[in-house]
Amino acid sequence: MIQFQFITAFLLVVLGIYAFLAKNNLLKLILALDIIDSGIHLLLISLGYRIELNEIPTAPIYTGYETLKSPMVGPLPQALVLTSIVIGVCVLALAVALTVNAYRHYGTLDVRALRRLRG
Amino acid sequence: MMLLPYLIIIPLFGAFSMPIVNLAGRKIREAWAILISGATLAVGSWVFYWVYENGTILYTLGAKSPLGQGVNFPIRIVWEVDLFSALMVLMVAFVSFMAVIYSLGYMKHDTGLDKYYTLILILELGMLGIAITGDLFNFYVFLEIMSIASYALVAFRNDTWEGIEAGIKYMFVGSIASSLILLGIALLYGEYGTLTMGYLALKLSQNPTVVGKVALALFIAGLLFKSGASPVHMWLADAHPAAPSSISAMLSGLVIKIGGLYALARIAFSIYGASVSMRTVGWIIIFFACITLIVGNAMAVIQTDMKRLLAYSSVGQVGYILLGIGIGLAAYGSQTGEVALAGAIYHTFNHALMKGLLFLIAGAVIHQLGTRNLNELSGLAKTMPKTTFAFLIGAAAIIGMPPLNGFASKWLIYESSALFNPILGAIAIIGTAFCTAAYVRVFYTFFGRPSERVMKAKDPEKSMLWPMLILTVAIIAMGLFPWQISDKVMIPAAKALENQLAYITTLMGGG
Repeated sequence: MIQFQFITAFLLVVLGIYAFLAKNNLLKLILALDIIDSGIHLLLISLGYRIELNEIPTAPIYTGYETLKSPMVGPLPQALVLTSIVIGVCVLALAVALTVNAYRHYGTLDVRALRRLRG
Repeated sequence: MMLLPYLIIIPLFGAFSMPIVNLAGRKIREAWAILISGATLAVGSWVFYWVYENGTILYTLGAKSPLGQGVNFPIRIVWEVDLFSALMVLMVAFVSFMAVIYSLGYMKHDTGLDKYYTLILILELGMLGIAITGDLFNFYVFLEIMSIASYALVAFRNDTWEGIEAGIKYMFVGSIASSLILLGIALLYGEYGTLTMGYLALKLSQNPTVVGKVALALFIAGLLFKSGASPVHMWLADAHPAAPSSISAMLSGLVIKIGGLYALARIAFSIYGASVSMRTVGWIIIFFACITLIVGNAMAVIQTDMKRLLAYSSVGQVGYILLGIGIGLAAYGSQTGEVALAGAIYHTFNHALMKGLLFLIAGAVIHQLGTRNLNELSGLAKTMPKTTFAFLIGAAAIIGMPPLNGFASKWLIYESSALFNPILGAIAIIGTAFCTAAYVRVFYTFFGRPSERVMKAKDPEKSMLWPMLILTVAIIAMGLFPWQISDKVMIPAAKALENQLAYITTLMGGG
């Protein structure tokens, strides 16, 4: 059975990498980083939701699990994705702060202008 | 008593209490920063001593045993410290302590210093975490803690365009690398359903799949980015000179090693040891190592900016360490591989001391003269004799002069690479020739005819001079016992890294 979320995750990562390579605006590059991250998060979270033997898993709530017939969704990927989202927010905040500073110094958001360091 | 958790608790507490402590004034803040990093060094030394005497530490967060109730596989986050990790812990704690002391004098004229000390302690915490962790996602979290702190520290002086530009470049490259590593971790979790390194190794050896190999490729790509290996070293040459010098010392001496090389060695040996063709992986790393070695050292020769020269030299030295790791992988199980690996570990430790010292010296020169252009620095030996002496020792050690510590580690790498494949040995020697050329040029500048600008300079104040002298003494002292250190510490560390079975049984035995 094809799980469409894997394909979506893959497309998001590819889209992010394309945007990262093709765009020149700093804000668009930050968005590209975020899209790559989102793709990976989607992959991780859907790893917990596996349809095996055509049984739809239920939410991982641990009360009355003795009587539960169907399998449960893996709770670990959700914890991982939450952590990873928080990390992503930190990077995003820092990136935007640096972009503001870059605009103050260079007067532009074009990444091609940031080439004064060389040698 | 188990002090291992305090390795994380102390710097974490110190970092986030810094803004409150800052209210009590400058003196208290500086004393607090020194106290915290000194306590971390004490705990780090204890961890090293304990591991050296008693063997690997296994620490489970929140329980006695990593195994779950009623199941025979680990479900908890574990920290696993073998001799290799313990050596890295000692290195990180020591050089960070020196950098913090140095910051007292060096950063005196900057503002926002409470944030600076918070970030420097978080950077130290992230590196210590990477060294001790035995869980892949935990590793990723610490890697990101370290990376975010170092992006912010590179751009710390945000009133100059240089720091901002370098910070942005570093941040984009580093984030892409982190994303690759996270993707690798996600793939491994999806395939094997565990994140504990030892158990993952067991599962991988039972059932090696294509997905596992793709994940390894992603790890290698991401970690080569992070370690500044050529051809993706450009961010390093921008970021390391732009940071404040105390931070450059930590970035060049520690961050690229822990976040790149240590993690690469740990993943390649401890996780993938039995389940992929070590020869192929080893040759891939050797290939990048040779490019890095030549490019880094050759680019160092033509620099006119002192800190940029040191940064390129770091790229070159990363090449040596990668060469050692690559040969260790390709010749896995033989005497040659073990010696190469010991050489790589030895050189990692030595290079942290040497490059830390050299960047601190560059910082002292900038602090006195306000320039780092080599053409304007001629004749420094007359007016800054102690600094010049420290530079002489540091540069001689990094070239690999016999009585100093760099000689022993480079010798182990030359010897094993020549035994493994004479062409690799020749490449390593060519790299050293370039390296020598680069540093001899700086010598000539230092001992040349004094220019007017240099006449006003003098040796820096005590808080900057002491870390430099301590590092110099450490380099000389390690140089006096090269083979004893190699036999007693480095070879056992290489054996601990190579022995994947012991890594797994420590975990599965319950500790």
